[in-house]
Amino acid sequence: MLGLGADRLRADMNRLLALLFHQGVLDEQFLQLQQLQDESSPNFVSEVVNIYFHESEKLLRNLRGLLMDRECSDYKKMGIHLNQFIGSSSSIGAKRVRNVCVAFRAASEQNNRAGCLRALELLEHEYCYLKNKMHELFQLEQQRLLAAGVRYPMQN
Amino acid sequence: MAALQRVASSVSATASNYGSCKGAAADAVVSDQFPAGLRVLVVDDDITCLRILEQMLRRCLYLVTTCSQAKVALNLLRERKGCFDVVLSDVHMPDMDGFKLLEHVGLEMDLPVIMMSADGRTSAVMRGIRHGACDYLIKPIREEELKNIWQHVVRKKWNENKELEHSGSLEDSDRNKRGNDDAEYTSSVNEGTEGVLKGHKKRSNSKDEDDGEPENDDPSTSKKPRVVWSVELHQQFVSAVNQLGIDKAVPKRILELMNVPGLTRENVASHLQKFRLYLKRLSGVSQQGGISNAFCGPLDSNVKLNALGRFDIQALAASGQIPPQTLAALHAELLGRPAGSLVTTVDQPALLQASIQGPKCIPVEHGVAFGQPLVKCQSNISKPFPQNMVSVEEVASKFGAWPSNSLGIVGPNTNLGGMGSQNGNMLMDILHQQQQQQQHHQQPQQSSLSEPGLSINVQPSCLVVPSQSSASFQAGNSPASVNQSCNFNRNAVIDYSLLSSQSNNSSLNIGHVPDGNLKTTVVVSGYSVPGTISPSASSSSVNADSGINRQFQNSTITFGAARHLPGLASNICDVQGSYGAKSGEVLDQGPLRYLGFVGKGTFLPSQFSVDEFTAPISNLSQGKTYVENNGSKVKQEPNMEFTDDARVGVSVLRQFPPNDLMSVFTE
Repeated sequence: MLGLGADRLRADMNRLLALLFHQGVLDEQFLQLQQLQDESSPNFVSEVVNIYFHESEKLLRNLRGLLMDRECSDYKKMGIHLNQFIGSSSSIGAKRVRNVCVAFRAASEQNNRAGCLRALELLEHEYCYLKNKMHELFQLEQQRLLAAGVRYPMQN
Repeated sequence: MAALQRVASSVSATASNYGSCKGAAADAVVSDQFPAGLRVLVVDDDITCLRILEQMLRRCLYLVTTCSQAKVALNLLRERKGCFDVVLSDVHMPDMDGFKLLEHVGLEMDLPVIMMSADGRTSAVMRGIRHGACDYLIKPIREEELKNIWQHVVRKKWNENKELEHSGSLEDSDRNKRGNDDAEYTSSVNEGTEGVLKGHKKRSNSKDEDDGEPENDDPSTSKKPRVVWSVELHQQFVSAVNQLGIDKAVPKRILELMNVPGLTRENVASHLQKFRLYLKRLSGVSQQGGISNAFCGPLDSNVKLNALGRFDIQALAASGQIPPQTLAALHAELLGRPAGSLVTTVDQPALLQASIQGPKCIPVEHGVAFGQPLVKCQSNISKPFPQNMVSVEEVASKFGAWPSNSLGIVGPNTNLGGMGSQNGNMLMDILHQQQQQQQHHQQPQQSSLSEPGLSINVQPSCLVVPSQSSASFQAGNSPASVNQSCNFNRNAVIDYSLLSSQSNNSSLNIGHVPDGNLKTTVVVSGYSVPGTISPSASSSSVNADSGINRQFQNSTITFGAARHLPGLASNICDVQGSYGAKSGEVLDQGPLRYLGFVGKGTFLPSQFSVDEFTAPISNLSQGKTYVENNGSKVKQEPNMEFTDDARVGVSVLRQFPPNDLMSVFTE
């Protein structure tokens, strides 16, 4: 019974991942992350993704702060933040977030405030979507582990 | 905003790693499982990437130390000289430009430095090369790329070794006079220095409390420090190689054929390595029509080595990497010139030629050690070659970009005006750069000459082991990567696209991202033996913004030397100590905090379910992302509708309860 639960959860996870890949939210780099997870780092993926969220939120805050400054938006600084955002997003395989960042960076280089604003909204949206999906994924994983874990002792 | 009040734990390492630092720094690299145990220092202000890299490197069985601040990293390197083998550094960092760090490391510690960046534009890569980076990796970095960074270490050490041999011979210039019985080869090797080298060999031989005779075919003593390859011995070697065919010449067979008592397979192996390099280099020179066309590029064809019987270490030294400053000083000493003058690696063009040809003929069958050296253009101590001046233009036209590494290459110190292409400018830049560098750093460099010498002395055997182990170690892997990086080095402009596509980088790199001051957390953490299970994260970050210390998911061992780390870092140690104990609990809290957000019940995946979610397509990006949901097909929308989407997007989001994330959006 519980075994079935674990399998079903795994199926759900796979389906979710497939969807995210299909949508372009994630790309192969995320698979690399998963492959890096092993016995010595059993929570590697969730750990890295959490670091990413933590850092990204800082970046997003900074970006919004910079953009809201109507007198003189520091586009240069925005570019710097975006550069890091691009690096980290691509490193975990967050493809859509990364693409928006690239567009954002282009707008900032042209000092295009309207474009930057639009990009920021979009970026926040994409980021939020990614984060929610990731949490969903981790939840499923946790539940699956629980289900799988409980099963084994009973079989003894 | 983000005040720089980051807490960074000191770099940690296990006792064994530390011990190996002090004692046999050189041997640490050359272990039985080389390249496992390679000591890598990673510097990146992006914690996400830092953590990923750390994990990847540990999977390669390297000993990783991470650092998120360039200054801290520099101090670390200075504190523990000889404790690292290679440095990976990001280009854009808030406190110090990655290139500056690169320069410092190159000058002070002379370690190979590999740059990383999300910016994969040719201009950025070029900049990296110009600054002397061993390699330039584009983010996202894959594990396969990291597996091969050890080649840079080997190569560098190898060339330093050669340089040491050479430098050691300087005091012996009066001792040489071994005669030059190899007049037949007209390669760019200077006979004078050659004699010096032989004198050196002779001296080292006698110094080795052994026989004073040049030949070394009586190693009756158990301690057989160094084999001196005399002319006769070398001739035997060459004939053996000829007999076997250059591609079939394995040390074992050569040894049998030579039938020299006391000669070990290791001796032959290392000699063979050098010889191969030498051949490669000469093959490049022969393109200039200098030498007999006994062989062309590919070494796998049967090469008759009659015309080039002489093995010349010095020529090989030329093909390797030698820090230009060191070379300048040595050369100056050697030739009695003032130290400040630029050393003209007048065989530079020859090398350039060789390097052009090099990539084509790299014998992929062997370990990586062969692959690269010729691709590097290095300054040379030898006297000018006869046919040097000409080829720079040819070279420039052939090259899209110069190969990497200390491009302090100083090509022929004249004649660069002839090049109108960008190559010419680039070369001029390099030349001037290096000139400045040399002038600025001549003094310190000379004083530090002895230091690398000391460390290098220890590792005569290091040449041997890698050649063997590298051949066995992932022989499947390295050839491919050799080719890959060779291509890259040879023509960064053109092949880079290949490289980037191979590296699965679908980035749209638009525009130019300037360096700047990005305040981020300072995280310094370290790991030791890969075998140890260091729990989860390595990053210990203190977020000054929120005032909460979160995510101390690590149990880094505060290292003794860490106390010496100045200023900020020292605070870090203390803080780290106090948090170390709590790492366990915090670890759980970290991820759970986010999950808690999820679990608050207001997060309903269904709201972002496929049906309702409309992901507005970014019109701003050049790449068109196309999202297909179950119900709605969202295509690329014109700009005017964009704001509507954004509003929709925001309103959807507002349905969630406020939390950390939401605070981002609410103003």
